[in-house]
Amino acid sequence: MADAANATSAGGILLVFAVVVPVIGMLALLMLRLLGLSRAAPVALVAIAGGTAVAFATAYLVIGTQSALVYVVGGWAPPLGLALRADGLSAVMMAMAAVIICGIALYARPQFDAPDEAPEGRRAFAFWALLLGLWSALNLVLVGEDLFNLFVALELLTFAAVPLVCLDGRAETLEAALRYLVFALVGSVLYLLGTAILYGQYGTLDIGLIHDVARPDLPTHAAVALMIGGLMAKAALFPLHLWLPPAHAGAPAPASAVLSALVVKAPFFIILRLWFDVLPGPSAIVAANLLALLGAAAILVCSVVALRQERLKLMIAYSTVAQIGYLFLMFPLTVVPGVPPWETIGWTGGALQLISHAFAKAAMFLAAGLIYEALGHDRMDDLAGAGRAVPVSLFAFGLAGLSLMGLPPSGGFIAKLLLLNAATLAGAWWIAIVISIGGLLAAGYVTRVLKRAMAAPAAAIHTQPVARSRELAALFLALCAVALGLVPLQPFGLFAIGRSVMP
Amino acid sequence: MSFAGLLLAATLLTPLLMVAACVLPRFRARVFDLLALAPLPGLATALLAPGGSLVLAPSPLRIVLALDFPGAMLLGGSALLWTTAGFYARSYMPEQAGRAGFSIWWLLTLAGSFGVFVVADMTSFYLMFSLVSLAAYGLVVEEGSARAERAGFFYMVLALLGEAFLLFGFVLMATAGPAGNPLISEAVAALPASPWRDATIVLLILGFGLKMGLVPLHVWMPLAHPVAPMPASAALSGIVVKAGVIGLIRFLPFGQPLAEWGTVLIALGLFTAYYAVAVGITQQHPKTVLAYSTVSQMGFVAGVIGAGLAIGDAGAPLLAAYYALHHMLVKGALFLGVGVAAATGTGRQRLVMIVMGVMALSLAGLPFTSGALAKFAAKGPLGDGLAGTLATLSAVGSALLMLHFLRLLAGASKAAPDATAPIGLRLPWLATALASILVGWALFAPATGYAPSLPLAPDKLWAALWPILAGGALAAALIRWGARLPQIPEGDVVVLAERCAPAVLAIGSGAEALDRALRQWPVAGIALLAIVLAFAGALGVSR
Amino acid sequence: MSGVSLIGIGAAALVGIGLYGVLMHRSGLRRVLAFNLVGAGVFLMFGIAGKRGAAVGLPGDPVPQALVITGIVVAFAATALAVALLTRLADLRTKPAPMTSNDTPPPSEAP
Repeated sequence: MADAANATSAGGILLVFAVVVPVIGMLALLMLRLLGLSRAAPVALVAIAGGTAVAFATAYLVIGTQSALVYVVGGWAPPLGLALRADGLSAVMMAMAAVIICGIALYARPQFDAPDEAPEGRRAFAFWALLLGLWSALNLVLVGEDLFNLFVALELLTFAAVPLVCLDGRAETLEAALRYLVFALVGSVLYLLGTAILYGQYGTLDIGLIHDVARPDLPTHAAVALMIGGLMAKAALFPLHLWLPPAHAGAPAPASAVLSALVVKAPFFIILRLWFDVLPGPSAIVAANLLALLGAAAILVCSVVALRQERLKLMIAYSTVAQIGYLFLMFPLTVVPGVPPWETIGWTGGALQLISHAFAKAAMFLAAGLIYEALGHDRMDDLAGAGRAVPVSLFAFGLAGLSLMGLPPSGGFIAKLLLLNAATLAGAWWIAIVISIGGLLAAGYVTRVLKRAMAAPAAAIHTQPVARSRELAALFLALCAVALGLVPLQPFGLFAIGRSVMP
Repeated sequence: MSFAGLLLAATLLTPLLMVAACVLPRFRARVFDLLALAPLPGLATALLAPGGSLVLAPSPLRIVLALDFPGAMLLGGSALLWTTAGFYARSYMPEQAGRAGFSIWWLLTLAGSFGVFVVADMTSFYLMFSLVSLAAYGLVVEEGSARAERAGFFYMVLALLGEAFLLFGFVLMATAGPAGNPLISEAVAALPASPWRDATIVLLILGFGLKMGLVPLHVWMPLAHPVAPMPASAALSGIVVKAGVIGLIRFLPFGQPLAEWGTVLIALGLFTAYYAVAVGITQQHPKTVLAYSTVSQMGFVAGVIGAGLAIGDAGAPLLAAYYALHHMLVKGALFLGVGVAAATGTGRQRLVMIVMGVMALSLAGLPFTSGALAKFAAKGPLGDGLAGTLATLSAVGSALLMLHFLRLLAGASKAAPDATAPIGLRLPWLATALASILVGWALFAPATGYAPSLPLAPDKLWAALWPILAGGALAAALIRWGARLPQIPEGDVVVLAERCAPAVLAIGSGAEALDRALRQWPVAGIALLAIVLAFAGALGVSR
Repeated sequence: MSGVSLIGIGAAALVGIGLYGVLMHRSGLRRVLAFNLVGAGVFLMFGIAGKRGAAVGLPGDPVPQALVITGIVVAFAATALAVALLTRLADLRTKPAPMTSNDTPPPSEAP
C-alpha cells in the first residue's frame, strides 16, 4: 500500500485538475467581476465543460487501466505529504457529479443569467461561484486520502452549500441555512475530535497508512465512532435530519438539486472510507446493524412523512432523507465470510443506489422547480393542470420517480434488486422487508404527485411558460437514472477497481 | 433474425412505437382510431410463430423473447380481443379531448399484456408484468368519477403490493438459481432445490394470485372492472387478469409433485370460485356481477393449476391456458355485450339476449360452447376426488351467477324501445362471441390431446348440461327469495379494510409527530451524542 | 498531575461545555460561540497529540500545529459565515417591510 501511495501514477495529475479547474473558474468569475467585464454564466459554463472533461478522462483512465489513479502532491509522500487517489467508486462518482453538474448548469443558465449590473446579477454571480466551489470541494472529498484533508474538503463543501440554501435572502431560508450550518459544524467538530484521537494513536492521518497499522482498541473505536457520528449529522441520517427538509426545500431548484443529489453523498462517501478502509479487523456486525437500523428507521418514518407533505419540494426533501436510509442498509450486507466487502452484492447495490438516487433526485428537484415556476406555487392540493403546463417536466418527474420506487427499468430497480439479493443471502429478512415497504411508500408519494398533476384543473389556471431547454435538462438527468438500469451487473467490476490494494 | 423472431419483436414494438409516436401532435390526434391495428402483429405471431424465439439483447442484459404453446394461445386470444375491443372503442367512446391519453394507457397495457406472454427471461417478465399492472390503472380511472378514483386507489395499492411480493419472490429465485438474468425456465428448474423454496412459492402465489383475484386479494377487481369504459372493462377482465395465470404457469415447478402447495392452491382456488358466486348473486349491477364471475372463474383456473402442481402433471399448465383462453374471449364478449344490450331497446333485445345467454352459460359449461370443452379438459388434472367433485359443482354456481347476470342485463336497457346498437358496437361483439366458439373448437385437440368427438358423447353432454339445469333451479329460487339476501357492497371485504383507515391515518400522524419531535434542536443534538456512544459501544462489542 | 493530563482535562471540559452550549442555547449567536469553544477543545487535543510526538524523542511534532492552524482558519471562516447569516437575519427581522426581501442580495461574501 505504501508503495502504491508513494508513486504518482500516469495521468495522476488529472486528480489535481479535477480539484483545481472549478477553482480557476471561480477565480475567473471573481476577477471578471472586479474588472466589471462579464456575465457570470458563460464563464462558469466554460469552467464546467473543462471540469467535466477532466472527470471523464479520470473515469476513462481508471476503467481503462483497471487500477486506481494516484497523485502525490509535491512529491512528498505520506505520512508527511498528501496523496490523492481515485479508485473505481471515486471515478464513477466524479463522472456522475460532472454529468449532474452539467445538467444543473444547463437548467440554471436561463435562471441565473442576469448581467452583473442588474439587481439579480449578484445572485447569479453567487450561484455560479458557489456551484464551482462546491464542485471543487466535492472532487476533493472523492479523491482525498488524508483524513484532515477530507475534513477541510468537507468544510469547503458546507461553506459553499450553506449560502446556496439562502440564495433568495428570505428570512425562512436564512434560518434554514443557519440551522444547516450550525448542525453541520457540530458534526465537523466531532469529526475533527476523532481525527485528533487517531493522530495521537498512529501519528498519521493517511487512510492507507492507518489501514496498515490500525489496532482494534478503545481509542480507535471511539475516534471512528466520533467521526462517523459527525458525518451522519452532515449526511442527515435519521434522526439527525432536522436541518435537511427546510434547507433543501427552501433553496432555489438547481441548488436543491445539487444539495440533495451530491452534497449529502460526500459525508456518506467518507463514512464508506472510514468503515471499509480505516476500521481495523473483521467487519463489526453489531455496529453495521446499528447503522442499518437507523437507515431502516429513516426509510419507514420519513417515507410516511413524505407521503403527508402539503408542499412538493418538502415532499422531495423528505424523500431524500428516506433514500439516504437505503445507503446505510448496505453495511451489514457487505459482511460475507471469505469475500472482500467490495466484491459483495451489497456493496455494488449500495453504490448503485447512491448513484441512481443522485440522478433521480436531481431530476426530480429540477422538475419540481419548473412545476413551481409554471404554477407559481408547489402546493400539493393545487397541482392540477401541471401536466398540461409542463408535460416534459412531469414526465421527467415520473421517470425519476420510477427509479425511487425501484420499478424497472431504472437504476433504482437494479439497486433494489441487488440489495434484496444481498439481504436474502445474508439472511437479513428485516432489511428485505424494509426495502419492500420503502418501495411501496415511495410509489405512494410519487403517484400522489403524478395523479394530482395530471388531473384537469377545476377552474382555468394561469400558468407561466418555462424554457424548453430547462425541461430537457431535467429530462436528461431522469433518463440517466433510467439508463442506469440498462447496464445491469456491469458496475460489479467497476466499483471494485483499485480496492484490492486495501485488503 | 428469423421471421419468427421478427414477428415476436414486432408484437412488442408496434404498440410501444405507437406510444412513442404520440409525441407528434398529428399522430396523437389520430391514434385513437388506430387502436385496433396495434395488436395485429401479435395476432400474426400467435398464428405463425409458435416455437419461435429471439434474443433481443445478449448477456448480461439478456432480453429473450420466446413463444411456447400456452403463450401462443393466450397471445392469440388476447390479440383477438384487443382488436375487437379496439374497434368497439371507436364507436363506444365519445369524441373528446381525453381520448389520446386513454389511447396511451390502452397501448401500454396492450404491450405489457403481450409482453408477459412472450418474454422468457426473469427481468423482462417483471418489467412486462409491471407495465401491464400499472398501465391498467389508467384504464380504471378513465371515467374520472369518485367511484373510479376509489377503485383506482385500491387497484394501485394492491397492484404495487403484488409487485413487491413478486419482486421478492423473483429475487429469491434468482439468488438460489443461476447467476445473472436467468431464463424463467432455468430459474424454475432450480426452484425445487432452493433453500427458500416454500417462501418463494408463497410469494409467487401471493403476487400472481393477487392479479388473478384469489380471495381475499380479489377486492380490487369488483371495484375496478365495472368502472372502466366498456371496451377497457373487457380488456381488464378478459386479458389483464391472465397475466396472473401465465405467471403461475411459467413460474411454478410442474416437473415433480408438490402435494402440499398444490393442495393449498386448489383449496384457495375453489374457495374463491364459490365465494365469488355467493357474493356475486347479491350484486345488482351487471358489470359487477361479471367482475365477480371473473374472480370465480380465475379461482377455478387456480384450482386446475394447483391440481397439476400437486401431482406433478406437466400438461396441466397447457389445460389451464386453454381454459384461460376460453374465459378471455367469452368474458370479453360478455362485457362488450353489456354495452350492446344497454344501447338496444327492449323491443329488439331478443337476439342480443340469445347471444348473451349462450356466452354467459358458456362460462358454466353449456354443451357445444368453448366452456364445455374447457371444463371437459380441466377434469383431467382435477380428477374424480373431492377436488374434482367440487370443481364440477362449481359449474352450478357459475350457472346461477350467470342467470342472475342475464336477468339484470335484461332490465338494464335505457335506450328507446326500438333502438338498435350501432353496428360499430354489434360487429366487434359478435365477432368476439363467434371467435370464442371457433377458437375453442379449433384448439381443443392440439391443447388437450382429446378427440373433438369425445365431449359430444351423450353422457358427456349430460354431464355438461345438468349443472346448468341445477343452476337454473337455484336461479328460480334466487328470484323468489333473493330479496332476503343481505346487500353486500362491491368489493365486499374492502369495506372492512376501509374501516381501518383511521388506524392507518393514525400511523401517519404518529410518524409526523415523531419527526416533529426529533427535529427539535436539543433532541437531535442529544440523539447525535447518543448515536456516537452507542456506535462506539457497538464497535467494541463486535471486535 | 502532569501537564499533558491537565491540558487533556481542559480540552475535555471545553468540549463538554461547548457541546452543552451548542445543544441547549436557543440563541444563534450563543450556539456559534459555543461551537468555537468545542473547536478550542479539539485544538487542545491536537496539541496533546503533538506532545506525544515529542515524547518519542522528537523536539515536538510539527504536523498537529499545522493542522491546528488550518483548523483555526476553517473555524474562523465558519464563524464568519454564521455571523454573516445572523446579521442578515437580524436586519430582516428589524426591517418592517418583509416584501423587500426579494431585492436583498444574498450573503455571498462568505465563500
